[in-house]
Amino acid sequence: MRVVRWIIALAIAAGVCWLFPLFHVVPLQAVKAEKAAGRFNATQFAETFWAKQLVPALDKTVKADVLLAEIQADPAAAKKKYSHSVGFSDTYFYFLSGTGRVVSVSDDEISLAITPGSTNAEVTLLAGLIFGDAVRDGTGLLNPSAYPNSQDFNDISAALDHLVETRVLPRLHQQAKIGAQISFAGCAEVDDEANDLMPLKVIPIQTTTP
Amino acid sequence: MKTIWLKFAAVVLAAITTVAFAQTSFGQAPKAKIAVVISTLNNPWFVVLGDTAKARAIELGYDATIFDSQNDTAKEAANFENIIASGYKAILFNATDSSGSIANVMKAKAAGIPVFCIDREINATNAATSQMLSDNYAGCVKLGEYFVKTVGKEGEYAELLGILGDNNTKNRSAGFHSVVDRFPGLKMVAQQSADFDRAKGLEVTESILQAHPNIKAIFCGNDAMAMGAYQALVSVGKDKQVKVFGFDGADDVVKAIAEGKIAATGMQFPKTMARKSAEFADEYIKGKRDFAQKVPVAVELVTKENVSKYGDYGKK
Repeated sequence: MRVVRWIIALAIAAGVCWLFPLFHVVPLQAVKAEKAAGRFNATQFAETFWAKQLVPALDKTVKADVLLAEIQADPAAAKKKYSHSVGFSDTYFYFLSGTGRVVSVSDDEISLAITPGSTNAEVTLLAGLIFGDAVRDGTGLLNPSAYPNSQDFNDISAALDHLVETRVLPRLHQQAKIGAQISFAGCAEVDDEANDLMPLKVIPIQTTTP
Repeated sequence: MKTIWLKFAAVVLAAITTVAFAQTSFGQAPKAKIAVVISTLNNPWFVVLGDTAKARAIELGYDATIFDSQNDTAKEAANFENIIASGYKAILFNATDSSGSIANVMKAKAAGIPVFCIDREINATNAATSQMLSDNYAGCVKLGEYFVKTVGKEGEYAELLGILGDNNTKNRSAGFHSVVDRFPGLKMVAQQSADFDRAKGLEVTESILQAHPNIKAIFCGNDAMAMGAYQALVSVGKDKQVKVFGFDGADDVVKAIAEGKIAATGMQFPKTMARKSAEFADEYIKGKRDFAQKVPVAVELVTKENVSKYGDYGKK
């Protein structure tokens, strides 16, 4: 009789555990895949943003010759009229395009004279390792408030910088011959006006030769 | 007609007398209250953040009280319960945990109290009214570039991380590594958390130095840990060989940069963030509702070349 009671108790316990399992055994790969699926994919986002928003927005850039002339005349007025900044910051960005003649070439920088007849470097296209938020923030197309976790927003910067390095710079290095004409569009970050306005340091998003 | 006018005059006189009596008997109507909840007051940087927020709230005409969460989400939750029960009109909030603090903010929101995050992010865009946050990632990109420039492209280094659950820890480390990891000659031989704490920074650095005596630099996720790391280096006579990098813009570190003891830091402008957050709360109480959810505040690189421009937790 006692044995029967034990068997019944064990059967009930087994039934409860079957209905409400104390733990689940899940393959480690499945857990990793599930986590990755739920995670923001900055690389994918950057690819889509580049094709669908960034390249179409290149039509809205300020022309480099116009911007340079206005910076020469009145940097504060040029900043007010053409620049973009994020939050509370002394740093600001120009989203610009133009055509210039190559006046110097190095692994990290391609310098262009923009004004007709000028031999000075007025725009420097950054052509080495690309860091920072200029491409993400320089266009004003992306809003940090849209991202619950700022790490996702920061990952976009790194992914966009990577696209510049892999899509834009190899071709730019081929195009960059002293005296060659290069058309470009990109973002310039102005952190220190004494050093960053002349030449303007531009991260290129697109470059072509006529 | 005359009687009506007399009655009306009597009523007006009675009302004026009542108001005057109430004011003389009970004083002015009590001021609205703003709570300032700070993750920990065991770090001078956060003391400045809290004191500035409180002072600005008082300037704007409020009673303001600082609550110390002692880096403990349970203590923070108790602070929120107390604030909600005590009729505060707004909360200026420096979170202890980017995920763990969301529930507290949601409770305040449900009670109709707006929460304005300062410096530390919570991973939600539907909880706080606005979040004013240092751009930690961009600041540490600048620090990473300066690190490579001053330490060189080769050598061993260590990293002291802050509180692991905090987004600032992750964003600072990610910004730094987005630069430094591009230089394969720079090898990180140790990466340990010291919880943004000076004493732990000292302790962790001592053990790192024993295991890795050849490191050329230590990147620290905040200035308190940087001062701890520097102290550890001084005690073993390596303060001239190993460069220390911090983040915050704390006064003692800015002075240490001027004296050549610390290599660089990122100035976070805690006073600007605290003041603006108090002003946001004031605007909310006065009726404004359209606040940007995330308001980044730029971080500036402070080095021996430009240190004279900085001090007192900001730009001179």
